[in-house]
Amino acid sequence: MAKTATPRTPRAGAERVDARDKVRGAMRYAGDDVRPGLLHAALVPSRIAKGRVTRIDVAEAQRVRGVRSVLTHENIGSFDTGGFLMGGGFGFQSFFPLRSAQIAYRGQSVAMVVADTLEAAREAATRVVVAYEAAPFVSTLDDPGAEPIDQSVLLPQPMFADRKVGDPERALAGAAATVDLHCELPAQHQNPIEIIATVAEWKDGVLTISEPTQNAEGVRHGLSRQLGIEATRVRVLSPTLGGGFGQKNSLQSHTVLVALAARQLGRPVKLEMTRAQLFHNTSFRPASRHRVRLGADREGRLVGAIHEIDQQTSRHDLFPSLGTEVTSRLYGVPNFLGRERLVRTDVQTPGFMRAPFEHAATFAYECAVDELAHALGRDPVAFRLLNDASTDPLSGKPFSSRHVAECLVSGSEIFGWQRRSQQPGSMRAPDGSLVGWGVALGIYKAAMAPAIAKVRLQADGAVRVSVGGHEMGQGIRTAIAVTVARQLGAPIGAIEILLGDTAAAPQHVTAGSWGTATALPPVLDATRRLLDDLRQHAGAGASSGTTALELLRASGRPFAEAETRARAPGQPEQVFGRLTGGLPAAAGPVYPDFVAFSFIAHFVEVRIEPTTRRIRVPRVVSVADCGTVVSPRTARSQVEGGVVWGIGATLREMSEVDKRYGGFLNTDLAEYVVPVAADIGRIDVSFVGKPDTRFNTLGAKGLGEVAMVGVAPAIVNAVFHATGKRLRRLPLVIEDLIG
Amino acid sequence: MEEDDSIDLSITRRNLLLASAASAAVTALPAEAQTSGSPQIAVEKVHTHKVTLQVNGQPKTLELDTRTSLLDALREHLHLTGTKKGCDHGQCGACTVLVDGRRINACLTLAVMHEGAQVTTIEGLGTPQKLHPMQAAFVKHDGYQCGYCTPGQICSAVGVLDEINRGVPSHVTADITVKPLLSADELRERMSGNLCRCGAYSNIVDAMTEVAGGVR
Repeated sequence: MAKTATPRTPRAGAERVDARDKVRGAMRYAGDDVRPGLLHAALVPSRIAKGRVTRIDVAEAQRVRGVRSVLTHENIGSFDTGGFLMGGGFGFQSFFPLRSAQIAYRGQSVAMVVADTLEAAREAATRVVVAYEAAPFVSTLDDPGAEPIDQSVLLPQPMFADRKVGDPERALAGAAATVDLHCELPAQHQNPIEIIATVAEWKDGVLTISEPTQNAEGVRHGLSRQLGIEATRVRVLSPTLGGGFGQKNSLQSHTVLVALAARQLGRPVKLEMTRAQLFHNTSFRPASRHRVRLGADREGRLVGAIHEIDQQTSRHDLFPSLGTEVTSRLYGVPNFLGRERLVRTDVQTPGFMRAPFEHAATFAYECAVDELAHALGRDPVAFRLLNDASTDPLSGKPFSSRHVAECLVSGSEIFGWQRRSQQPGSMRAPDGSLVGWGVALGIYKAAMAPAIAKVRLQADGAVRVSVGGHEMGQGIRTAIAVTVARQLGAPIGAIEILLGDTAAAPQHVTAGSWGTATALPPVLDATRRLLDDLRQHAGAGASSGTTALELLRASGRPFAEAETRARAPGQPEQVFGRLTGGLPAAAGPVYPDFVAFSFIAHFVEVRIEPTTRRIRVPRVVSVADCGTVVSPRTARSQVEGGVVWGIGATLREMSEVDKRYGGFLNTDLAEYVVPVAADIGRIDVSFVGKPDTRFNTLGAKGLGEVAMVGVAPAIVNAVFHATGKRLRRLPLVIEDLIG
Repeated sequence: MEEDDSIDLSITRRNLLLASAASAAVTALPAEAQTSGSPQIAVEKVHTHKVTLQVNGQPKTLELDTRTSLLDALREHLHLTGTKKGCDHGQCGACTVLVDGRRINACLTLAVMHEGAQVTTIEGLGTPQKLHPMQAAFVKHDGYQCGYCTPGQICSAVGVLDEINRGVPSHVTADITVKPLLSADELRERMSGNLCRCGAYSNIVDAMTEVAGGVR
């Protein structure tokens, strides 16, 4: 480990607009709501993995002083399902607890207590007596009852079909060298540090929900459907999230319960979930198995690839697998087959967790590439450079921009790759640790969603921006502020940005790394229109150095405003109906004239203690191609965070399942191990920074998820370089390296 | 044990929870909570107790359910919501505050255990006009992303530098006679009880390094 550290140079770029609030504890998250009259709720989880509730007795719970209500499926009244996000609905799953006696997964809510105090609610929740009739269940991919079914059969839409180009079987048969490997990745949970809190209050027939969500519009329309009321009578507020990572990207299954309790009791109600409950009441990364077959000719050019994926889903929903959508585009492989199968298990529906398909799929594929390169005696970087692609092998369309080569060359220079000796086990540290250097690529689609942006300038200097987006630490608020400030010549402190408020602008889900690419182009456009409007009204009096505010004041108007609607290339006008209806409407990576992806190269050094086999990652160098870097400070932090996630996914994180009980066993932050400060060494981030103006006017592709993709295989490839052992199952454990 | 009306200061959280649950064991509680001669604990009754805490230099007196954690007392009762709840089990560090100069997880202690204690929360470090040096350093080095763990990180960081100054060793201290103990490894080790899922660890250590005046 590094023994000394020099203070690094201060961060480049503007400080975040919410920096001061964050360090002073003045940032308000949903759980910080302490409004007068607030009642507190607590959930009661199911103790069985599948079956039904045969009896539920709330008498003891009701006797606890301060309890106002104990809701169960027997007394809550009827409400609709919110539907499934991937099936025309709004929920992370189509199954909503308390609509019947059915138990679909361990930890499912069977009751909710509402009380005057948190302590009373929690105590009463332990006193609800539930009797069950249990049924057999399937909990893992290799359970005897688990049945993989072709996704192309289950989901007949083109986007879920097998991906095929050329004749991969034949290409592999004729290849000079092939590899065939199987990889396994576990279920994992997002675990942002913020725990989900939902506050519901009714006023004059209008429901206001405060909840950390990445999809305020989806929550709004989902609740409207569930409660049978007009969407105009529902407002959802989520201005700031304490981390999202996909856990919060759709209507949760508990939100309607809080709304119903608030309506029934005529008081605002706050439900604060427990950390343990989050493991069973929100989505998670599904477990997956991969088989990758790769073949190359004697010169080291990839000639064929077959990538097969089995991915976990729930009993009630089909969460699709899209891993081969990216592995097919990593290199210029002319013969490719990607086939995905889904495996139903009795669990809450898995979903989107940072790089939901890309992390696992790229892990398997990049391990295979590395192994093939080694079999041919090629340097891993040179092998990847040789197989770079200029057009999309599947569709033949050009990449809107692709700087993989620069990522690899630049990264290897910064890292010092030329000092690497190829032979596994040939590099040692002075303290006797085995040293391993590994590399891998990462890829993630460049997506965009429709948005409506409004920019308003007032004569007192205040600027107000309304657009769809949710701030979860990625710095979207800062990126918007920086952009608008620069255009208008306004001080950043004068800019108010309304995000995550369904009353301010339609709030498309912020996910898929498309937040900045979605919000910034229309904001930029609206700002330019505002300037045009100001210049027109100022007429001959306007000189080039005049700020927007000076122009407005000169015109005598109290304010000026401009609005822009933007949609992704190729999207029809009707897509705005989906936006305002709270339905997902993102496009990408395939557009009419091009395909668009972000790329990254990760170079990793591992040190392995020779006796204990403990693995450390003292340094990582990452070079990203995400187009224009709008806000350097927040972009750098995003990549560092993504690398930390990659380290966690490879060396620490696993949601443990015991087939006897179902559900997840390690439902707390001591047993679900995430990286801590002592796990993290140097992370060097740089950007190619070449604008992709073919994709949007800003030239920005996404960054938040590509940041993580490729870290896992880079680590595993480094471990091979150190030990000669190919590990195929994550997370890596010491037992894998012993013997 | 002498039976009197004052609270037994040696009472532990476990004992209080047993007493307020349906249990036959009766520990020394305020007189009003004991039913004379009756073997049955009434579950409906809420045991409360008055406690005065010195919070950010101000005396605050609360009448609390004895089960209320210091964290919930700060957030729900004093409306100081800067300190966050991430797990309520002492595993994430988001609830870190300084009590009598030492950093603790506020979720792992009961408010009633701290009569007269000096409690410093994130709101008590610096002022809106003048940030505490650690807060300013976090801003300079972008020591956060979503900001949820940040109050706990900052309180913990202040506590760590104080511990190092007082010569308190850690798991990575190779030689406890070498002063100062300050090093990058020491900072990382001591901050490993404050989880940051956004992964801002490197920037946090940079901020602490600056406040500490550089590390060896």
